[in-house]
Amino acid sequence: MYRLALRMLTRDTGKYLALVVGLTFATLLITQQGSIFLGLIKRSTGVLQNVGQPDLWVCDPRVQTVLEIRNMSDRDFERVRTVPGVAWAEPFFSSRATVELTDGSYKTAQLIGVDRSTLVGQPPEVLVGSLDDLRAPDAIMVDESSRSKLAYPEIGDTLKLNDRRAVVVGICRAKLGFDSNAMIYTTFDNARRFTPLGREKIPFILVKTQEGADVPTVASSIRERTGLGAWTRDEMEWLSTRFILTQTGIGINFGTTVLLGFIVGLAVTAAIFYQFTIENLKHFAVLKAMGTRNGVLVRMVMLQAITVGAIGFGIGSGLAGLFSLQGRRPGAELAPYLPWQLLLMCMAGMLVCIVVGSILSIRKVVRLEPAVVFK
Amino acid sequence: MSANNGGALHLRGVKKTYGVGENAVRALRGIDLDVPSSQLVMLVGPSGCGKTTLVSILSGVLDADEGSVEVFGVDWRALRSAEATKRRSELMGFVFQSFNLIPTLNVVENTSVPLLVRGLGERAAQRRAAELLIEVGLGDRLKSMPGELSGGQQQRVAIARALVGKPRLLVCDEPTAALDGRTGQRIMELIQSAARGKDEAGRDRVVVVVTHDNRIFHYADRIIEMEDGRLKPTLSQHVLEESHHVPTFDPADTITQK
Repeated sequence: MYRLALRMLTRDTGKYLALVVGLTFATLLITQQGSIFLGLIKRSTGVLQNVGQPDLWVCDPRVQTVLEIRNMSDRDFERVRTVPGVAWAEPFFSSRATVELTDGSYKTAQLIGVDRSTLVGQPPEVLVGSLDDLRAPDAIMVDESSRSKLAYPEIGDTLKLNDRRAVVVGICRAKLGFDSNAMIYTTFDNARRFTPLGREKIPFILVKTQEGADVPTVASSIRERTGLGAWTRDEMEWLSTRFILTQTGIGINFGTTVLLGFIVGLAVTAAIFYQFTIENLKHFAVLKAMGTRNGVLVRMVMLQAITVGAIGFGIGSGLAGLFSLQGRRPGAELAPYLPWQLLLMCMAGMLVCIVVGSILSIRKVVRLEPAVVFK
Repeated sequence: MSANNGGALHLRGVKKTYGVGENAVRALRGIDLDVPSSQLVMLVGPSGCGKTTLVSILSGVLDADEGSVEVFGVDWRALRSAEATKRRSELMGFVFQSFNLIPTLNVVENTSVPLLVRGLGERAAQRRAAELLIEVGLGDRLKSMPGELSGGQQQRVAIARALVGKPRLLVCDEPTAALDGRTGQRIMELIQSAARGKDEAGRDRVVVVVTHDNRIFHYADRIIEMEDGRLKPTLSQHVLEESHHVPTFDPADTITQK
């Protein structure tokens, strides 16, 4: 009987395709909207993701996001270095800067400054040129995907950063930040020259703990001894994410859109399958009149639901995956992020809706008077 | 237990009302009926007289409000729903006016459904279905879909489906209504032959045909006319004329009316 159920499903080509396409787009809608939302949130921590070496990020305790800058003093920097358990600490610069292009137009860029001697916080990947060249005066490295925003500068070209001369010495690859501004690397000293910040000049201090030291304990010591904030990268990411979600309109505005996408997608899923079963009610009545038990009919409907749900979800999530890959291309403005948790959540939601749609229609099947076959 | 005096179908005081209050429709007003085995019985009468309700109750797909309904000793009203469903799969075969074939299953799959319902394996069920389809002249259309067949062919598939489980009671609801005269005659020959056949255990069976089609009255062993939820004691003149002296019923004998 279950094979018959599958044949009843798949051989009604028009309805079957409508079901699959409907469920595919419901999945795509849910996962795509969700992945864009998560991608945007993740982009808010792009600067953090480019820096792999340190265990702790130290900053002003009032900082709520990596996008916000409250500078610390050289004295703060020295105090952090002396906290027990700290192996090394290096300054890290992150701020916006204005780039004047050769055609006279302006662009905003995210300027990252790394320690000149250790290069801690360096770009994750250098594509053209050498990291050593970054130590030269006025040297900058431009992120590959940012070149289009800066009129495709080549090595040796000169840009104006906050009205100061900057020479391109390399092309690197890094993750963009929340606002997708062009990403430019330089040394900490150069960065301070490009972007004077007043008396206190250090936005972040990157800290590596000594081998065997307990990272949370060291973070706690830094907080106690210096009065500064000290966070692991994960904590800093969560801090930034929470800021975006709660302190900007993005959480409520985009969240509402995503939620609507979820509701519409799931409602469509339930409605499509409900309609399919209702349209087959007459056939179920014939089977019932012939002596098919309610339990068998229920399992037939559930099998149809799960089959079509799995196919729709598979194709939909596959398309969402392709969409996500497209967004990973260098220079892509889209920021989809499709973690397995989102797929799992989408699958669970789809399953719930298909089951709800099935249960609603199954109730009709179970209550169906087989006598309708004579009408 | 059974008060059946050897009859295949035994109904006493069967009543059925749809709706309540002022809107109530009394579909059956007290039917007493006995039908012996090996008979092809035709149930005739105007639309709304209760024919379909009567065969629905006979088939166990509809519950009577009052009275007793026994089909080959099975008292439908005494059975729980699940048990009635199981007994239906063993006892009953159905042929419908609109064929009611499942459009997404091919001919042999449609025909094998009653056997699958009984739990037979798909391969064995399809083998038996194919044998029967060859008998009804559809051996070359086993893999065809219902939509590719003519009305007569579809009805032959429906008859094969109804007979594949070798049921004891075959209920046919207007089996020729959607067919032209010649095809209808061929279908009735098949149904008449089924009435002479045996069930799985070699026992006689009964065929009940609900019809308006006076062209097929002569196939009946017995004609029962209904009017306003009751069995008529004597056949109407036009039924008598069309029936070509088919035995009707004697109100004092096996078929009575309250």
